[in-house]
Amino acid sequence: MTQFLASIGYGQWILHALILLPLAGVVPILLGEERSAKRMALAVTLLELVLSLGLWWAFDVGNAGMQMVSSAPWIPRWGISYRVGIDGISLFMVLLTTVMMPLSVLASWSSITRRERAFYALMLTLLTGLVGVFISLDLFVFYVFFEIMLIPMYFIIGIWGGANRLYAAIKFFIYTMAGSLLMLVAIVVMAWKIGAATGTLSFSYEHLLANAGRLGSIAPWLFAAFALAFAIKVPIFPLHTWLPDAHVEAPTAGSVLLAAVMLKIGTYGFLRFAVPFFPQVALSPAVSRLVVVLAVIGIIYGALVAMVQPDIKKLVAYSSVSHLGFVMLGIWGMSVISVQGALMVMISHGISTGALFLLIGMIYERRHTRMIEDYGGIARVVPLFSLILTVVALSSIGLPGLNGFVGEFLVLLGSFSAYPWATGIATTGVIFAAAYLLWALQRMIFNRLDNPENERLADLNPRELAVLIPLIIGIVWLGLFPGPVLRRMEPATQRFVEAIRQAPGAVPMEALARPGQGSR
Amino acid sequence: MQLDLTTPQGVSLGLLPEILLSGWALVVLLVASWRHGTAEDSRLSGWLSLAGIAVSGAGLAWLWVNDATPLGLAQMVALDPFRYAAAGLVLLSTAGAILLSLGYLERELLLAPEYYALVLLAASGMMFLAGAEDLIVLFLGLEVMSVAIYVLAGYNRGNAWSSEAALKYFLIGAFASGFLLYGIALVYGATGTTNLSLIGAQLAGGQLSLMAALGLGLLLIGFAFKVAAVPFHMWAPDVYDGAPTPVTAFMATGVKIAAFASLVRVLLEGFPSAGHLWQPIIAGLAIASMIVGNLVALAQPTLKRMLAYSSIAHAGYLLAAVWPGTRLGSGAVLLYLAAYGLTTIASFGFLSALGRHGERTVTYDDIAGLAANRPWMALGLTLCMLSLLGFPGTFGFIGKWYIISALIAQDQMILPVILVVTSVISAGYYLPVIMAMYMKSAPSDELHRDMRLFPAAAGAIAISLAAVLVFGVWPRGALDTAVQSAGTLTQTGMPVARQ
Repeated sequence: MTQFLASIGYGQWILHALILLPLAGVVPILLGEERSAKRMALAVTLLELVLSLGLWWAFDVGNAGMQMVSSAPWIPRWGISYRVGIDGISLFMVLLTTVMMPLSVLASWSSITRRERAFYALMLTLLTGLVGVFISLDLFVFYVFFEIMLIPMYFIIGIWGGANRLYAAIKFFIYTMAGSLLMLVAIVVMAWKIGAATGTLSFSYEHLLANAGRLGSIAPWLFAAFALAFAIKVPIFPLHTWLPDAHVEAPTAGSVLLAAVMLKIGTYGFLRFAVPFFPQVALSPAVSRLVVVLAVIGIIYGALVAMVQPDIKKLVAYSSVSHLGFVMLGIWGMSVISVQGALMVMISHGISTGALFLLIGMIYERRHTRMIEDYGGIARVVPLFSLILTVVALSSIGLPGLNGFVGEFLVLLGSFSAYPWATGIATTGVIFAAAYLLWALQRMIFNRLDNPENERLADLNPRELAVLIPLIIGIVWLGLFPGPVLRRMEPATQRFVEAIRQAPGAVPMEALARPGQGSR
Repeated sequence: MQLDLTTPQGVSLGLLPEILLSGWALVVLLVASWRHGTAEDSRLSGWLSLAGIAVSGAGLAWLWVNDATPLGLAQMVALDPFRYAAAGLVLLSTAGAILLSLGYLERELLLAPEYYALVLLAASGMMFLAGAEDLIVLFLGLEVMSVAIYVLAGYNRGNAWSSEAALKYFLIGAFASGFLLYGIALVYGATGTTNLSLIGAQLAGGQLSLMAALGLGLLLIGFAFKVAAVPFHMWAPDVYDGAPTPVTAFMATGVKIAAFASLVRVLLEGFPSAGHLWQPIIAGLAIASMIVGNLVALAQPTLKRMLAYSSIAHAGYLLAAVWPGTRLGSGAVLLYLAAYGLTTIASFGFLSALGRHGERTVTYDDIAGLAANRPWMALGLTLCMLSLLGFPGTFGFIGKWYIISALIAQDQMILPVILVVTSVISAGYYLPVIMAMYMKSAPSDELHRDMRLFPAAAGAIAISLAAVLVFGVWPRGALDTAVQSAGTLTQTGMPVARQ
């Protein structure tokens, strides 16, 4: 496989193709007929998936740096070039995106009935934006993709969303934009300051990363701007209020993409930009204490609020706040194990929560309610649905043998020595997760079948099974054989952790100095 | 090519675009006095005026391509790319305003073709203002421009709002001219000259006398009135609101382009050594305009008033670009004027099509469901809003990025932060326009049926939006032009303080 890929020059064109293909797909969709839009979109996203799968083999496992880098000048006067590349961190984000996208299209098959051309065109634009965010290696280009994907999601929520969609759409937009515009100022400041110090004005990631140490006293402010933008995206505890609104009001495809991919942009941003650029700020006692405390609050608070939700979609939305808290804890755990764990949580949260939103969308299409109390005992009516829901819920809880367990276990293991107390408290989050999901499961699919409206529910059809089975395979595969995935992310995470520990002026934390950390 | 501005021949060559345009305006006036009254006549004058803009533009291009520079000191008018770029933008915005007017005047039955002669005269005033190297010429240009615009603002005589707009603009404008004139007098008293470069040379080195400082202050107030910067903005919403929409578009673009070009030239050539005096004032005006303009725009029920307040906010962004007083800053002013001008022409063009019962009353609800009935129009207006918001992929974003870069290059952090925070606020009134069009449904099918975009206006809008997109994605050409044009300006003056 690797040889075949090399023979067709895969590494040279794949990243550009992944960005351009969806955009090219927009044209026939807009020009074509309303009826054929979804087929066209499915074809394009499947082609994108197939193309992107080659990355798995083409990716050089032992290489910690950026791979398949290529660039072309864009605005030379400002030192801006279109520059893309991929490493062990972004590889999985790209694959997660390309996997979730055709499933989201397939899940919208019968639920999107109005303005289909516009919907699928926006979905493809979103795909370009998401892939672009994860592979861009120029801060200007990154910012452009970061903002561009707001527009399709804004329309997807605002046009095809639920009853309160207008409020949710504008809240989502303004929250994200508020953070990203301050990040824009920080990006420009960084480039100009470093340009003045080195004599080269460039927005290239490597250039800024190599010289970020020269920023001096302004670094904390710049870190704050980056961190705010990404913290809103994650979302970290007090900034999370847009999330339940957006996730609940969005149509199924929107919720899936929001949860599975877009939330990861925040944590990806911390891993790629905020922490490596400013390690001494990120690791300073004040900041790390704040982040860890907020992460733990997020874990517990998200779980507790999820527990009392009567609306199953809102329950899953709040569970995201809880899961993403684990990711933040893992990143600040700052050992190879914990950062790998954070990445694993990002991937498995994408798969499990994506699957949960898909299942909720499917049952909502049949019953037109998301209230847990309206269901009950449907395991007897829709056994296939109930089986899959149970498996997915168990994976989200973190049952050993399924994907959710790997990441959370690694995070807790890797962070324990750095933050024993916080990790201890976070562990209870796993228990809460079991509580809210199993309780919801019990009320929905077990108990007594007392609502006559539930008696004639149809079970999953082949199309829906086609959506869910790949995810179930992923859940089991990642749970049983996480090795190949971990191997691919290890060099990059190792480099991430080492670079940060060796950063000049980094405040050495006692825990990091302890022997035995970081070696597996 | 060097022109000797002391000879009549040199001056007339150096002023070729202005002379052609004002001469053409007289021809249009003459034609209008014969062909007067029917819709056909009005259209004839309109197209004739467009031809005049093309002729003047050709003259301008000739000067620019031949790189005309003055022999020795520029006496009355500047001969540098900054003037050419600003004059080019003025001509573009004038052409846009005329294209918007062609159908509009017929619909509103404003069939007096002198309208176009006034537009051309105003444009030639703007070009004088933008290119003035001498405070007297500056004042003349300002007055030629303003008087014509006073009349244009009240062109809809039957409409009380239009008359109110004209009167208000006239009174406030006269007031502003008074400030400016007194400022010129004081500066002359302090330096003994009205030539900007000589003023700059006089004031260089030594401490600024009280008289000169006072003169500078009064000049700034005059300019602040003209560009509608807070706290001298009170007239703007009513005037923008009441004037016929194409005239509003003309005021919001042409007047701003000319006034900002002139402001930059006066500050950089006349007062380069007084940066410590004018920079805080400019910063204060910029901050106040950004905050007040954006916050008050949030509360506007009608689109036209919203756009009026948003134009105050954009004046704030532009003032922020004036602040550095560097080559980058002046380039940012030019680039943002281009981005803002193109987008504003298109926005007001859409508004004039929407407002078939008077644009003053078009509310957010009136465009509900527009996307279903008029998909192209909705798409275009969405693009306008995104560009005004400064969203990546549009020219508006490139403009804002440039302003932020110019400020940060001077180690200024407060202005960029206020700029982006107020831009987020502006999402609160630009997005509801998009929201109404796409996410709400029309109360009745009849609502958008009688809406018509006239072909000429549609052409102007299409060209503007195409440019907004092209320069948004591929800004190299626009950027290089802006930087090169701005470069020639600051080289003539002294480096600004803090540079």
